[in-house]
Amino acid sequence: MITYVANRAIQFVLALIVASVVVFALMSILPGNAAQVALGTNATPDAVAALEAQYGLDQPPLIRYFNWVVGMLSGDFGTSYVTEAAITPVIVGSVQVTAILVIAAIVLAIVIAVPLGTFAALEQRNWIGVTISALSQIGIAVPNFLAAIILVIIFSLTLGWFPSQGWMAPVEGLGGFLIRLVLPVVSLALVQAAILTRYVRSAVLDVMREDYIRTARAKGLTRAKALFIHGLRNAAIPVITVAGVQLATLLVGAVIIEQIFVIPGIGSELVRAVANRDLVTVQGIVMVLVFLVLIINLIVDVLYPIVDPRIRNAS
Amino acid sequence: MSGNPSTTSAGDASVDRGRGATLRLNASMIIGAILILLIVVLALVSFVWTPYGPSAVDPAARLQASSPEHPFGTDKFGRDTLTWIMYGARITLMVGIVAVGIAVLIGTPIGIIAAVFAQYPWGAWLSAVIMRANDILLAFPALLLAIVFAAVYQPGTGPAMVAVGIAAIPGFARVARSGTMQVLGSEYVRAAKASNRSAPAIAIVHVLPNIAGMVIVQASVAFAISVLAEAGLSFLGLGTQAPVPSWGRMLQESQQFLSTQPLLALWPGLFIALAVLGFNLLGDGLRDRFDPKMEARGNG
Amino acid sequence: MKTPRVSSWMAAVVASSLFLAGCSAGASDSGEQAKKDSMTIAFTAEPVNLDFTSTSGIAIPEALMENVYESLVRVDGEGEIQPGLAEDWDVSEDRKTYTFHLQKGVKFSNGADLTSEDVKFSYERVQNDWKNALKSKMDVVDSIATPDDLTVKISLKKPSNTWLFNMTSLVGAVFDAEGTDDLANEAIGTGPFAIEKFSRGQSIDFAARDDYWGEKPAVSKVQFKYFKDAVSASNALKSGEIDVVSNLQAPELAGEFQSSDYQIISGTTNGEVVLSMNNAKGIFKDKKAREAVMHAIDRKAVLDTAWAGYGELIGSMVPPTDPYYEDLTKVWDYDPAKAKDLVREAGIEGETFAFTVPNLPYAKAISEIVSAQLAEVGLKADIETQEFPAVWLDKTFTEHKFDMSVINHAEPRDILTVFSNDYYIGYDDSKTKKIAEKADTGTEEEYVSGMKEIAKTITEDAASDFLFLFPNLVIAKSDVAGIPANRVSDSFRIADLSWN
Repeated sequence: MITYVANRAIQFVLALIVASVVVFALMSILPGNAAQVALGTNATPDAVAALEAQYGLDQPPLIRYFNWVVGMLSGDFGTSYVTEAAITPVIVGSVQVTAILVIAAIVLAIVIAVPLGTFAALEQRNWIGVTISALSQIGIAVPNFLAAIILVIIFSLTLGWFPSQGWMAPVEGLGGFLIRLVLPVVSLALVQAAILTRYVRSAVLDVMREDYIRTARAKGLTRAKALFIHGLRNAAIPVITVAGVQLATLLVGAVIIEQIFVIPGIGSELVRAVANRDLVTVQGIVMVLVFLVLIINLIVDVLYPIVDPRIRNAS
Repeated sequence: MSGNPSTTSAGDASVDRGRGATLRLNASMIIGAILILLIVVLALVSFVWTPYGPSAVDPAARLQASSPEHPFGTDKFGRDTLTWIMYGARITLMVGIVAVGIAVLIGTPIGIIAAVFAQYPWGAWLSAVIMRANDILLAFPALLLAIVFAAVYQPGTGPAMVAVGIAAIPGFARVARSGTMQVLGSEYVRAAKASNRSAPAIAIVHVLPNIAGMVIVQASVAFAISVLAEAGLSFLGLGTQAPVPSWGRMLQESQQFLSTQPLLALWPGLFIALAVLGFNLLGDGLRDRFDPKMEARGNG
Repeated sequence: MKTPRVSSWMAAVVASSLFLAGCSAGASDSGEQAKKDSMTIAFTAEPVNLDFTSTSGIAIPEALMENVYESLVRVDGEGEIQPGLAEDWDVSEDRKTYTFHLQKGVKFSNGADLTSEDVKFSYERVQNDWKNALKSKMDVVDSIATPDDLTVKISLKKPSNTWLFNMTSLVGAVFDAEGTDDLANEAIGTGPFAIEKFSRGQSIDFAARDDYWGEKPAVSKVQFKYFKDAVSASNALKSGEIDVVSNLQAPELAGEFQSSDYQIISGTTNGEVVLSMNNAKGIFKDKKAREAVMHAIDRKAVLDTAWAGYGELIGSMVPPTDPYYEDLTKVWDYDPAKAKDLVREAGIEGETFAFTVPNLPYAKAISEIVSAQLAEVGLKADIETQEFPAVWLDKTFTEHKFDMSVINHAEPRDILTVFSNDYYIGYDDSKTKKIAEKADTGTEEEYVSGMKEIAKTITEDAASDFLFLFPNLVIAKSDVAGIPANRVSDSFRIADLSWN
């Protein structure tokens, strides 16, 4: 178990190093001169060159890469030459926003999907199970931005229950925070819940066929009881995997919802930074996103043997 | 799947799902195929005939509701929405084919090679390196790649397709690898090995036909994802650009008209949903035939 | 087979969603009471920082000029120059020396007094330290003297009709000589408002200053909130979360506000939407080819479809609020047959040309209808959407890699800048340059007639197609007062706003 985790951790660090090189290389080929953008329409070539020197853009790539990595390790992502402000607080702030949004969405999705999926599996042969399956198929097929638009029209513009946009930090007011959270979280969660429902359903179906469930049923337990007592732990594995993938995908995937609801999340910051050719910020945000995805994968990997003794023994 | 005993790939893994389940999954395959066929036909017909030209503007006939002249109505330039839906089907299919093509052609060989290498004492570490590289790729979701690509090469259909395709590679590599491992571990392949046939030969003769089904399932799912991704990217302005008709862009631009001309949003929204539904249903149906247990990773 | 456990789970799901809904009912509309003293206004272009001396673009001056920073003079809604920090000024006989008398008792938001030294410091800083290209507007200044604390004497190298007007723009902003250390993050000015909070990319909170020298604003708290997406802004107004949408970037939505709860204001701006053609090289170097375009475009149809009919046809590079405006919309009429003939004469039938389009809502919409109209006369546009500002500035503006583009040139009185030799359009200004020099140094009448001649020459040369004047389309709650109909300067003045 310990070697398994240590092994994963080493892989994680190696992946991080490779990813940082990839990210840095990608950024170096971006067109659009940062100095030119900052100076605007009528700047002279001399002024552009001077500003480039000031930004350190004239240094060799290897040195720039080294400085960047060393800075990040000490928690400093540098100063943006577009906003002339420190980047770290921007990243920390927007990551928090997106994390709240995405985790709330995944939790809501799990809360919806686990009962629905289990129910669909238990009732797979009658109309309830079929209806749930059909609904989840349709749910997956609806893009989340379409869901968001429809939700805004119904619950904000028509019924007036929730604001149509905006964000408030929890410390500024819990009520204001929660009420603004509802529509974006529901928009994100509906589609994820539909995906998750299908995985829960098939995981439960698989578990139901296992010998130990058959044995339990032979002892006189109902299917549901047998499942709850013996099977849920095993059904949790694929669900954890999928929820992990969904969490990782949504970190950037939430950007469309962030844009529709004017939420200052990490995806929106990325799009903004790209548009402003704020390369230092783009580089930092991409790196943080990659880091988070890798961390989530690591956690999921470490969770496997904890949840499932069979994997623990196998490794 | 000729040549091999038809039970081999499904043999040890397949599970009795009961008669009802089989029937329903067949139904989903048929519905899926019909939906896809509908979109393919729309796209093919658009090459020979559309009601109007895609850029045939008519300011006098802007924002019309359904009529015999314009069954799906018109947009703000007076262009025919049905024509645009037909042209949009082309882009949707093209993005899917190119993206899935990239992922299949790169991801599948990677997975097979990793699995074959793992058979040799000298190749185990190489196999591990390949799969770890694959894992790193997993850390770059399609949308992230697309945003960066759009910045590097201009937003457009091309970078969007490539980004979606690259992000789908790890899924195929994993499916191909686990499928290949399974085949290489089976009795008859062990027998073939015992008769001193080389691993590459075994891979080609036994592995490819046996993992083809699983790859097709994965392709169907990836296709559905690429349809959604193209729509999302175009919605963000990072996908297909004006004046090329795209469902995602149509949906984005129709937002202004939701209260005055909701039809404009209905059609692209409906066809995006139908296309995704079609490929997902087909994938489901195929999955039941080829492999009841798929890895979830890379499908999100 | 029924499973009670599962139904209780479902009940929990329903209950939790009800809980969320319950929260909402209690929390909504807490801002209703404070409304009369505060106002929230939606904007599109967000300031990346607060320093317009180093960062170009309209977003920063839009928020800061006249609200936080003030100039010696300002321009009113009719385009007339009015006193600002200078209560009056004298012009010398030779029109080369301006003597400004400053208002008394003006304080910066950091408590420092405004003196003539601050003015001298600020304007010399424009010439020496500014990176914004607009600094060239100060080039004509020769020297600045400060006879006493409240008098500034500015000497020009030559008489200039445009200089005083230029002073109403951001180059005229007066800074505290001790307060320019961190302009990007801290704005210290003499204006009626100070910045309370700057949330980058989201909003700016302005608070009225108690120690402002002039009349106190009616609304003491104003928030500028930035919406990339016009639909989100419009939704926010509909659901009452904001009070004003300053310039609606989706004009089709304006129709939804035709009720007594809202007011729709459609005035003018300084923004000429120009279908620019590369005069220096490529397919449109030939005047015949440009003439073909002028006849091929139905500007009325472009305005009606691309921008829902909001805006004005102008036919030249001059907005109606400028003193030298002249209606030139009749110079080029919509005549596709004639355009086809010209295409044939120029020998460019069926040729493809590069149409670079910044990814801005109006530009993308215009490109679709314009390319369709050009296709009618046998010209094939190869549309390339370019990110604005980064890529468009790089490829089209700086490297001149384009045949046709479309952009809203929003600077006030920018005809001479846009149609000069080295600008991206590559207009041959040998004719207009001499007229311009004479006009700038001449009398006011000579200036107006000279500028009229220049505008007409450029239009007749078919240098570019002037599609329409970008509208100042403002949607506001009906009880908001003081919104100027026309936008004649860069700034959005908030001191005049009030609640009815």
